Amino acid sequence: MIETPSAPPQILAQPPAIACSGLSKRFKNIQALDNVTLKVPVGSIFGFLGPNGAGKSTLIRILAGLISSDSGAFEILGRSSKLGHKVRQGMSTLVDRADFYKNLSAYQNMKILGRLTGNEQNDHIDHLLQLLGLYDRRKDKVKTYSQGMKQRLGLAQALLPNPQLLVLDEPTTGLDPKGMHEIRDFILKIAEEQNVTIFLSSHLLHEVELICSDIALIFNGKLAAQGSLDSIFSNMQDVTVELEVEDTLGALRLLEASPLVQDLHHLANAISLEIRYTNIPELIRRLTAQDVKIFSVSQRNRLENYFLSLMEDQ
Amino acid sequence: MIFLKLTQNELYKIFSLIRSYIGIILFTAIIPLILWGYGMGTTHIQHQIENSVSSMFLVEGSPTNGFTAAYFIMNFFWVHIPFLIALVGGDIFAGEAANGTFRVYATRPISRTSIFLSKSLATMIYTLIFVVYFGMLSLGLGLLWHGGGDMLVFQDGVLILEASDALRRFFIAYAFSFVNMALVSAIAIFFSTMVRNAVGPVIGTMAVIIFFLMISTLPLEIFTHFQPYLFTTYFSNWEQVFWDPIPWADLFRGLGLILSNLVFFLGIAFIIFRRKDILS
Repeated sequence: MIETPSAPPQILAQPPAIACSGLSKRFKNIQALDNVTLKVPVGSIFGFLGPNGAGKSTLIRILAGLISSDSGAFEILGRSSKLGHKVRQGMSTLVDRADFYKNLSAYQNMKILGRLTGNEQNDHIDHLLQLLGLYDRRKDKVKTYSQGMKQRLGLAQALLPNPQLLVLDEPTTGLDPKGMHEIRDFILKIAEEQNVTIFLSSHLLHEVELICSDIALIFNGKLAAQGSLDSIFSNMQDVTVELEVEDTLGALRLLEASPLVQDLHHLANAISLEIRYTNIPELIRRLTAQDVKIFSVSQRNRLENYFLSLMEDQ
Repeated sequence: MIFLKLTQNELYKIFSLIRSYIGIILFTAIIPLILWGYGMGTTHIQHQIENSVSSMFLVEGSPTNGFTAAYFIMNFFWVHIPFLIALVGGDIFAGEAANGTFRVYATRPISRTSIFLSKSLATMIYTLIFVVYFGMLSLGLGLLWHGGGDMLVFQDGVLILEASDALRRFFIAYAFSFVNMALVSAIAIFFSTMVRNAVGPVIGTMAVIIFFLMISTLPLEIFTHFQPYLFTTYFSNWEQVFWDPIPWADLFRGLGLILSNLVFFLGIAFIIFRRKDILS
């Protein structure tokens, strides 16, 4: 498994938000988790990536207390899993899609869950419904809500106990692009304003790349890599880059002659090329020295490249 | 404290469901109708009673009064009530599993023991409310409508109970009925922990009750050996409360069997629920 540094030293002094050690779980003939050891730094937005059926939801369900592991142990915010349900104090979970008592209103649903953790104060509920943009519809029955609204209400419920750790399992599943965008914004907002560690599982690489500071990748129940996104990307050897320049054909001629570049392609309005990650600044310097006007340089699907390269190694 | 809040939540959820009111609505409609019909159509029975009893005893009030009406209603309904009770007990776990709300609930830092106990307690409270409502409507409304007086019970002859004694016996009979219905709830809870739809537990509960009820009432010799050990044999034990003398030993033996079955079904349900993987 590939491990890369994941957090600055002052944060490492605290116990991790989540620490799993040797977790395994088998469902009949399927080894859903195989000796998974994972650390989620406090204060991070942690992306837990893997294809469908890789074991992401199984790990989250074990952490959430919905299923038990066959072996291994875990700690949440420094509390051992041996404490039973008390291990989940300070943690809140939104597993898979959000579900509710559909015959009740958003407010009543919030009230029911709030009672469980002593967070049923009206002001607190109103504040969260406002934060998630549901306040005006708070008295409407949940069965009249769109999928996006339900997912936001799920987030509001997850925030009810003022968690230090928020675990979200595929939070944008079933949402349209607008809904996905809204949820991403809320996650960033929550992490920033409420200082919550977020553990987010997803199979959407682009989504994770946009919001996460740290990631772990899982394939067939086995952890393949973990670390900060920056360190993973800095360790990546070759990346695909798209260049938008004023004179595409002129730039293409220059690039063909460059030893830094491989796999060059002329796209409709841009140039795609493969280059060693650390050579990108040198390429830009050389092009600008040749008076090439560069409008944009973007790495395309960095995480996807990384993900696919790891998959090939499995 | 958390347990009380959990129970409060469960009661709130139970009473927010339309199915919880089906039995109550049914009783509200049918019991007054029966009481009305009872007042209209018992002249023939009343004359028979009066002819056979009045010459021998002095009966205070009408022999077909609120007490006999309540007795008649109870006799008629004790086989139907389990179905209405199972509608709620069957939904208490399976309904949440079907809705996906268990995921939300079970991920909170609350023990499954607390969740199980609060749900079971709320179901029993509902059962109690149901039986009390049934009693209030049949006996209370019966007395208001048809008045009180001595109660005539036919058991190896005619037994005349004074009004105050009849009232006391009704309370005891309702208490026994509640325990019987609590067992029905426990069976429904047991099935509810095993499946993810609310229909299955209702059907399962009724199937169990009908099956054992048949065996406990079949007048075949081979079955008579099992009958004392079947809980359904004691489902009509409330009737014995109106015998004279009250066969307390039989009643408590039946009560013990009902309670032990109740503990058995709840115990198995608890083990299933504790070990259950919540996958949906």
